[in-house]
Amino acid sequence: MGNALTALFALALLAPVAARADATELTGQIRSYWINRQTADTGPLALANAIQPGTAGMDGATAGAQAELRASASMGAVQLHAHAGLQAQEVEGSRADTQSRVNEAYAAGQALGWQWSAGKKIVSWDVGYGFRPNDVVQQEVRRTLTSETPEGRPLLMAEHFDADTAWSVVWVNPTQERSDTGAQEAALAARVYRRSGAVDWHGFVRQGEHTGPSVGAAASWVANDALELHASVRAYQHADSSVSTVTDGSLVNMNPWRAHLSGAGQQVLIGGTWTSETQISVLVEAWHDDTALTDAHWSVWTARNRALPLWLKQGVPTAAVAGNLAWQGKAFGVSNSLRQDNLFVRLSWQQDRWQTALDVLYTPADQGTVTSASVVWSGERFKLEAGLRTHGGPADAVLRQLPVQRQGYAVAVWAF
Amino acid sequence: MILASQNGSFPIQTTTTTPGDTHWRRRSLTSTARSNVAVWLPLARRGEGVGGSGENTLAGVGAVPRKVLGFLLLVAATLLSGEAHAQEVQSLLKDADRYRMSADNLQVDTQVSVFNTDGTPDKQRRYTVFAQSERKSLVLMQSPMEKGQKVLMLGDDFWLLMPGTQRPMRITPMQKLLGDASTGDVATMNWAGDYTGQVVGEEPCQPDSKATCLHLSLQAQRKGVTYQRIELWIGKVRHEPVRADLFVQSDKLAKQARFVMDKPGNPTTVAEMVLVDQLSNKKETRIQYLNRKERTVSAEWLNPMFLARNPALE
Repeated sequence: MGNALTALFALALLAPVAARADATELTGQIRSYWINRQTADTGPLALANAIQPGTAGMDGATAGAQAELRASASMGAVQLHAHAGLQAQEVEGSRADTQSRVNEAYAAGQALGWQWSAGKKIVSWDVGYGFRPNDVVQQEVRRTLTSETPEGRPLLMAEHFDADTAWSVVWVNPTQERSDTGAQEAALAARVYRRSGAVDWHGFVRQGEHTGPSVGAAASWVANDALELHASVRAYQHADSSVSTVTDGSLVNMNPWRAHLSGAGQQVLIGGTWTSETQISVLVEAWHDDTALTDAHWSVWTARNRALPLWLKQGVPTAAVAGNLAWQGKAFGVSNSLRQDNLFVRLSWQQDRWQTALDVLYTPADQGTVTSASVVWSGERFKLEAGLRTHGGPADAVLRQLPVQRQGYAVAVWAF
Repeated sequence: MILASQNGSFPIQTTTTTPGDTHWRRRSLTSTARSNVAVWLPLARRGEGVGGSGENTLAGVGAVPRKVLGFLLLVAATLLSGEAHAQEVQSLLKDADRYRMSADNLQVDTQVSVFNTDGTPDKQRRYTVFAQSERKSLVLMQSPMEKGQKVLMLGDDFWLLMPGTQRPMRITPMQKLLGDASTGDVATMNWAGDYTGQVVGEEPCQPDSKATCLHLSLQAQRKGVTYQRIELWIGKVRHEPVRADLFVQSDKLAKQARFVMDKPGNPTTVAEMVLVDQLSNKKETRIQYLNRKERTVSAEWLNPMFLARNPALE
């Protein structure tokens, strides 16, 4: 409940401000959702639970409701903005819990020709849909099951705009501990944007507290009335990663996965969107991500998955084998990309109030797939959304070994 | 002044006057004369023509030079005629534009209501449009379900910002078409400059009405416009827009538009544009212009990356 109080407190702070403000605005939405999950019958976590049920925790069906409130107030040259949410959720087999989140809470203004922002804010950069190498501030998780507002990052930001150019300088996570990794790492980042006719050009630099420098560039080009092409590339000196200290089939008595600062690498995305007059859109993207485990790493991982159950024949306690298998699941969280090379295709069709979409993520290295289908109906204040996601491919494909293999969901949103 | 040929019937303008008091009549010509009639007819009428034998106007000129001169005059007349013709169409379009865009830079509050084919209300949306000169528009969605969405249109270039991600995305002209009343319908208030074409002639303002209007056939001059071809009917005297057939790039009839004026007897502004979908659902969309006021936004507001500044825009 502490988080809930924090969120309410953030919005309450705006109340006295709003009373004295030049202009205020309050909007929000109530969102209820239901997600059903079917767990995997293959992979290390499935095997761990088969050997000793309950070794690896798996979420069952989930039902919940979220309330989101956005409040904006303007006091002279300073604008205040807060966006907070409360969530009540019940997972099958668990107790209901309540959580809260402050997605955004920041002040913004203008001084000496520069726009500034201070507080918690969503700052999304880069081109692309399925993967964004240069989203170096927000580092938003892509291809989530349902569309949710991301949680902003604490930051100080200065921006300068003219008609065709924009400069942005961000100090993100300024108060975070040095040990924080990934999107929580303290960093200085900058972006320059330039519009040149039908092309948007972006340049990026980032200096992470422990990951060091990275530099990137992106472009989005509207080639003709129907076709947009985009590309993004980023080269980094280091990336936060994890490695297993055990590369054979031996048993260990503690989690072998350790945080690791990887060496230099690149992330590359290329893609395009084609839209027809009949409002059918096709998005195709391909990307390479050096932060993901290599094919060699996955081969070692697969070999260890096969070797660990053999210990059962030698009388080793099932808990030890199941535990070691469950730790193998840590590999799924090393990077946002499971495999280094990925192909993503999305077909969508908008017709009146309805939008339907079908997308497939394909990993060529092991022929794994994730297929999602969704339908959205939008009314005046209501929006209904439902969909299915299923994993496919050979049994040893990494995507087929994720702990959840099929998900169905339904979401109802009421906006005010 | 020369007008277009259409199915063997050549409406021609007999006098060139100011747009407010132009008089029009039709004249039918034989098919054999079609290829050159657009140039020859008016010049011949003024006694300046090079048609027929040409002897009345070109007496004394030798046969070969006369042919050359005739050819050059024909080319020049064609060019001059085409130029004058384009200028006249632009003038008519500017007149028609003034009923929607009363100043170069405007803030327009717009309400879009969609009705089913049986007349029952389907949905309603509110937009704030900053329509600026040089074909720049910023559209802020105001309805609860769309609140926070923004579309920026800079000439042929378009960007969309969804409120959840705070990331401006470049979109294609086709993506701009999405929806019953596309963003282009809401944000576009000018035809002059974007379209060129010809005056087809006088036709009934509505298919079943006795009043006659000027029929303009317009072709897009830029790739980014919402409709590639427009058949537009405007008032003969004041040149207010009356109705339009809107064609997408494949030349399919996408929508039919009807313009409702504030004062039918003495129109000063378009109060409402009624669109009937012809591609799919046949629904009727009413775009009401609730409030117009002159407003010039700063250049940085029209920078695509500025869309993510929130809530400074509102």
